Amino acid sequence: MKVGIPKGLLYWKYGIFAEIFFTELGCEVIVSGDTNSEILNLGIENSVDEACVPIKVFHGHVASIKDQCDLVVIPRIMRLTDREFICPKFCGLPEMIKNSIPNMPDITEEEINAYHEKALYKSMIQIGKKVTKDRRKIQKAFEKAMEAYQTSSCGIHDEKYESKIALLGHPYNVQDPFLNMNVVNKLHHLGVGVMTEEFAPKKEVNEYANQLFKKFFWTFARHCYGAGAYFAENRKVDGIIYLSAFACGIDSVVIELLKDRVGDFPFLVLKMDEQTGQGGFDTRIEAFVDMIERRKECEGNFSSYGEHSYSS
Amino acid sequence: MKVTFPHMGNIHIAAKIFLDDLGVDYVVPPISNNKALEVGTMYSPEEMCLPFKIMIGNYIQAIEQGADTVIIVGSCGPCRFGEYCELQMNLLKKLGHEITFIVLDSPRDVGKKELLERAGLLVKESGKNNYSGILAMLKGVKAIELMDEIEKEAYWLAGYEINKGECKKLLHDCRQKVVSTKDSDQALKILKEYKKKINRVKMDSTKQPLKVSIIGEIYTVIEPFSNQYIQERLMDYGVSSNRMLTPSWWLKDLLGKVVKMNSISLRRASQEYLPLGIGGHARECIGEAVLAAKEGQDGAIQLFPVGCMPEIVSKSILPTISKDKDFPIMTLVLDEMTGQSGYITRIEAFLDLLERRRETSHVLFGN
Ligand code: SF4
Ligand code: SF4
Repeated sequence: MKVGIPKGLLYWKYGIFAEIFFTELGCEVIVSGDTNSEILNLGIENSVDEACVPIKVFHGHVASIKDQCDLVVIPRIMRLTDREFICPKFCGLPEMIKNSIPNMPDITEEEINAYHEKALYKSMIQIGKKVTKDRRKIQKAFEKAMEAYQTSSCGIHDEKYESKIALLGHPYNVQDPFLNMNVVNKLHHLGVGVMTEEFAPKKEVNEYANQLFKKFFWTFARHCYGAGAYFAENRKVDGIIYLSAFACGIDSVVIELLKDRVGDFPFLVLKMDEQTGQGGFDTRIEAFVDMIERRKECEGNFSSYGEHSYSS
Repeated sequence: MKVTFPHMGNIHIAAKIFLDDLGVDYVVPPISNNKALEVGTMYSPEEMCLPFKIMIGNYIQAIEQGADTVIIVGSCGPCRFGEYCELQMNLLKKLGHEITFIVLDSPRDVGKKELLERAGLLVKESGKNNYSGILAMLKGVKAIELMDEIEKEAYWLAGYEINKGECKKLLHDCRQKVVSTKDSDQALKILKEYKKKINRVKMDSTKQPLKVSIIGEIYTVIEPFSNQYIQERLMDYGVSSNRMLTPSWWLKDLLGKVVKMNSISLRRASQEYLPLGIGGHARECIGEAVLAAKEGQDGAIQLFPVGCMPEIVSKSILPTISKDKDFPIMTLVLDEMTGQSGYITRIEAFLDLLERRRETSHVLFGN
């Protein structure tokens, strides 16, 4: 059986899990190619106009491989953490795909609950049944996939740069270089290192997020907010760049709350949509990096002044 | 303490009765208006959804009249409504207003005790006991149920009325009269009176008006200002319109009752197209579209504010329903710029389409 895995949305976090799972089940796995303008255009043609660009890109990935596959993995990820969700569009992803892309082969529509290994196992048994009746085989595939996922690493943490920027946002926005116009390379080019949400200690992330009046019920909102507040307040980075899809309801809330939280800490929001141009992006990033370095210089001066006055 | 609350359709009628009886000082914000939208938009983050912006406008206009406490109902679910209060508090604070927020969450999420404690703040302020608090609440609920029934009848009967404009006038009179008294019993009496009146409107039952369902995101469906008074416009066109989402439906939903009562048929209807809840009221939207087609209505209009996540999912499903059931559905996406003219043209074009379909089907089936 040929199983297609679209390289969009949370592929960027759990792709390895899906690939190993289906390979172990004896399927031929077809992963769609890297996002490019063709895939984006396919997505624009085959999705509802109002959708955000990551969703459109996902549609594009699906459309690009559907004809070669017997089954396409459209993960309906309901929860990654207990009592939290990701986004309504994740819960309704199979419906969006089925109703927007004509002539779809079979897809996985089962709910995936991953707040607990047991729950995830249950979900994967359901999905595995699409391929084989052999429960033992599914169990083994699950274990292998789990192992591969746990030993894989996700996110970026540059050590060797003097200046550092936290790159926040949903994982697909942070990690798909086509969507974010290669912002990571751009920053490296400017001599700035990058740190992502995954490298903020979990405990702190939750602590900072829990200081809000109301608990988030979106997983990545909690991650981004908590990590952003932690990075800024402990001066782990020199600035924050938030990568957000245009018209993302979740980002719009996180950005506002985080802005309130970090005050005048350098904070840049980059919005992505299907028309975003490289030029505008680059100039804004350059200006932001300039500002950070100037600020650093100033602070450096201040603190050395401070030391002088103390010692004299 | 002087409390206020955001508008959502006729909710203020019930809220007023509740607060009058409780004896708490309050301000009803001016009915949502362009100025409210303007200030709301000015102060809100650009990408927040329209309901957020109008609500901010409501608060600011109420604060101008001395309000210092906001009551809001935060419902939790995978959507933004639940996150509103935090942002709104911060926003008002930045504008220099120290406002207390009393957030009434569904007991499912914060626990009964916490909810009662929060509600207790109000009762304490009034100096009355919990018992009178509950009585006041029940009266408020009764009022909103009556008001919703009157409104439902009026929107539907407008297609059949003999004296054009009578239903609309009754509806307006009723809304006006019921808020003019501070006596809750009097208010309930007025509502009951109008309920009788609306059922006595002279009708021509041989008429066959167009019938349209209004579906979509709950706030924009219920708050007429946000949808440019779409149902009242339909009344003017002599079209019967129908919507399931109302404040009383919403209240029941919050209290978790609907699940067992009136949404079973809806769930069944949505099953084929959206078998699970994804947040917001997407599932209701899908179920209503299917039911409307089944009930033989002529079409449905989906409303939602720009960027509304759950309704974008619904919108991707609706074309399939439309095709399967041969049932026209139009989507109107609302934002602060919803210019009157283009919007109205689209509604009119849709009604034309429905008319034409009827004519051709008459020819086809010879009746
Ligand atoms: S979280 Fe935001 S970017 Fe991601 S799918 Fe939902 S709306 Fe789109
Ligand atoms: S359902 Fe739509 S309008 Fe309501 S809070 Fe969510 S995104 Fe905003």
